[in-house]
Amino acid sequence: MSGDCILCGKCLEVCPLLRATGREELGPRAKADLCFLLGDDETLLSGEDVAKLAGLCLGCHRCKAVCSQGVDVPGLVAALRLAHPDFKGWLWKTWLTHARELWSSTSLAAKLIPKNFQSEKFGPFLKMLAGLKGGPGLEPFLIPEIFPDTYRGERMLLFAGCTANYVQGRWLVTALRLLDGLGIEVLPGDFKCCGGGLSSAGFDVESEAMACKNIDVWRKAGKPKMVLFCASCLSSLGGYENYFEDSEEFISWQRSLMPLSALLREATFVVSEKASGKVAYHRPCHVDKADSDYMFLHNALGNRLIVSTSRECCGFGGVMRLGTPALADAVNRDCWEKLGTPDVVLTGCSACAAQLAATAPNEVRVGHWLEIIA
Amino acid sequence: MRFCLLLTPRGRSRTFRSMPIYAESLTSAHRLFLTDHFPGDGCLLSQEGMAAFSADASQERAMPWAVVRPENRGQIEELLKWADSERMPIYGRARGTGRVGNAVPTHGGVVVSMLGMNRILDVDENDFVAVVQPGVVTGDLQAACIDRKMMYPPDPASVKYSTLGGNVSTCAGGLKAVKYGVTRDWVMGLESVLPGGKVLRTGGRSHKNVVGLDLTRLFVGSNGKLGLVTEIIVKLIPLPETSASVLVGFSDLRSSMDGARAVFRSGVLPAACEFMDKVTIQAVRQVGDVPLAANAQAALLFMVDGSEAGVEAEVRQLVTALNESSPVSVEIGRGKDEEKIWAVRRTISPAAFRIRPNKFAEDISVPRGTVAEAVERAHQIGEECGLIVLCFGHLGDGNIHVNIMHDASVPDEVVRACRAKDAVFRLAIELGGTISGEHGTGLTKASFVSEQLSQEEIGLMTSIKQVFDPNSIMNPGKGW
Ligand SMILES: Cc1cc2nc3c(=O)[nH]c(=O)nc-3n(C[C@H](O)[C@H](O)[C@H](O)COP(=O)(O)OP(=O)(O)OC[C@H]3O[C@@H](n4cnc5c(N)ncnc54)[C@H](O)[C@@H]3O)c2cc1C
Ligand code: SF4
Ligand code: SF4
Repeated sequence: MSGDCILCGKCLEVCPLLRATGREELGPRAKADLCFLLGDDETLLSGEDVAKLAGLCLGCHRCKAVCSQGVDVPGLVAALRLAHPDFKGWLWKTWLTHARELWSSTSLAAKLIPKNFQSEKFGPFLKMLAGLKGGPGLEPFLIPEIFPDTYRGERMLLFAGCTANYVQGRWLVTALRLLDGLGIEVLPGDFKCCGGGLSSAGFDVESEAMACKNIDVWRKAGKPKMVLFCASCLSSLGGYENYFEDSEEFISWQRSLMPLSALLREATFVVSEKASGKVAYHRPCHVDKADSDYMFLHNALGNRLIVSTSRECCGFGGVMRLGTPALADAVNRDCWEKLGTPDVVLTGCSACAAQLAATAPNEVRVGHWLEIIA
Repeated sequence: MRFCLLLTPRGRSRTFRSMPIYAESLTSAHRLFLTDHFPGDGCLLSQEGMAAFSADASQERAMPWAVVRPENRGQIEELLKWADSERMPIYGRARGTGRVGNAVPTHGGVVVSMLGMNRILDVDENDFVAVVQPGVVTGDLQAACIDRKMMYPPDPASVKYSTLGGNVSTCAGGLKAVKYGVTRDWVMGLESVLPGGKVLRTGGRSHKNVVGLDLTRLFVGSNGKLGLVTEIIVKLIPLPETSASVLVGFSDLRSSMDGARAVFRSGVLPAACEFMDKVTIQAVRQVGDVPLAANAQAALLFMVDGSEAGVEAEVRQLVTALNESSPVSVEIGRGKDEEKIWAVRRTISPAAFRIRPNKFAEDISVPRGTVAEAVERAHQIGEECGLIVLCFGHLGDGNIHVNIMHDASVPDEVVRACRAKDAVFRLAIELGGTISGEHGTGLTKASFVSEQLSQEEIGLMTSIKQVFDPNSIMNPGKGW
């Protein structure tokens, strides 16, 4: 797999970690090459050290998207993490698999982190966890006006994702309201976590179990369309390729995945009087090319939307943030440099929303775009 | 002065005037110097960390002994003073996208990663110049210029992931070289640090300068063999208002060449003029829809740019001129559709791998009038060696990308591919051309240099290098 890398360097264009640090050994080509060298001659490099270095990856998947050779660097990194697990992986796993307890409003996530890891460098991370408990949210200012009849009467599943299910209940409520407006009947479905974070942290068994459970819910519901409003969940579900009976079923699964914002394409909204001034949009790394969230906001907000990131990553970085927050912070600073200081930053990914909220300048408020829907 | 005889990998003997003596490894004193001067992440000594700096896009590889990351010129002055006295091989490196191994540290030594020096210092709308540090990605400078309605035209295909320092050091060319020239034509001034630590400033912000020998141009394309470039002044021009692209299919190669000739004769100077042979067209058809007639056996791709009215007129003139050579299809693209046309060009490289898993991608350049002959004979060479050869590239400047497709896991195919590569190089020289129009010679073509350049030329170049780098510590082990 890593042997397919021809060292062309095309992926260097998109890696936010390389851009923020200027350190070539952290770029995707270096990671692919390290994996190749490790497989080629086991005596040359230490597997543990390679895992540590190559593991410094935000898991943003941008490199994979541009590689003409189909090299999956974040996949290689996940495999390395699987082969060389350490505390970072453990911590991440704990966080995700215990989402229900960790994120419930009564338990404080930080308490679950062992004392010796509660050092200075985890400060911002703990702040982010605290941020995930909900907070007051944004003041809604976008009022739905007319819903189209395009989907009226259709029955769909709603994959809300862990954040909306356990922390940001209001996202879920707003999503349900919008679906109701569209005349869509939401089918019951007891989904698990999408497994994206676990899979990139190298926990294949756990993430596979989650994927299979989610596919099962879909099958049992008669393979209907599935609505999502988190770019990372959508990307993770779209990558379930290995868990289907045949490619035909996988294709119909992929076709069933619908970003909520795409369903709202023909709906009209009005901006209320008390609207915030300048709005920025953060494009999540995991969003697909079409980026229907951006299209939706662009149409609804017009020139109120003053800036949009394109190549900047929020610096959430999953497991990497836990181990080397300084590197993830450098990536985060790049992102804020582009965003500037608008009144509100909107995004369509729960991880980006949490990361940006935890690092926002004082006067800037951050949230999922669902929060501005009145 | 010592003389020594080396046997090149291809069995020919070469005479070197002298073999410099280099440090053989890193001593603890060397390590101390490097870690002192490049604290923290500024110096890498672990194998894992340095592995990324051992290879470039040529896929050639050699491990360095250390990697350093200067953040300012002062650090480089100290480094080159030390390296000269220690006879330490120094390998400048930017993004490592070079295709001939020029950034590969063949003699070990110290790799100097220039990516930390990546600031755009000035984009001046009055002087029409930009001043940048070498680690700036060329595409980022172009974007900064576009914001101010200006243009920095050199556009290697790697423009979004290679740097100005790399482009200057390799004299990178690109699609638009036919109208706008190559990197060399846009560099007005340089600041460099020479072995020994001296700082050399050449040229400046003045668009004209005829005083003295042109040392700036000497540095452009010198591949880190004279010194390390620390600041670059480039020329800018007003951003053309608009552009249009035209993809034209022909029933055979000769008529496509006639078509190109007719366009130039009609007085149109296109910004880009690319061609594709029939094998290339077959390959791109395998990966997607191509807006070309089904019977097209050769294709030309033009871009014209300028004012709205000028572009309209040039497209009309171009299409009329092409009619003389009876094209089988003409597709004109404006705005978003223009992008569709260029997407065809961009898919060539990945599409080629559908034919065979490996390729030797050579970039010979020949006088424009001989391109048809060069392509036909390159195909012939392929047939003789039992391999598929794809030709495409910058017809406007005679720079043909000859891709010799093979499977590297089949030893016999590799031998035949090497034979084909030799023959293609000889063909270029026979036609009065060059073995490299863009990528340079570095490691992969070093042994052919003496076939193209005369002993006098090589002797003079060696003497010039000695003036700058008497101990030959800068990028040793590479061809001219
Ligand atoms: C897919 C692809 C497409 C390409 N397309 C083109 C093309 O269209 N046209 C073209 O000309 N090339 C092309 N190239 C080749 C390559 O991108 C160019 O040679 C580019 O200029 C190299 O830039 P870099 O930043 O990667 O430099 P590197 O490869 O890191 O270095 C190139 C050379 O410059 C020296 N160097 C780097 N920085 C300095 C410095 N500050 N001071 C002194 N020496 C220095 C290095 O020692 C080395 O000799 C392509 C490569 C790829 C992989
Ligand atoms: S991972 Fe893909 S894009 Fe990156 S260097 Fe390798 S082949 Fe090129
Ligand atoms: S996944 Fe993102 S951070 Fe990791 S190597 Fe690829 S581009 Fe860089």
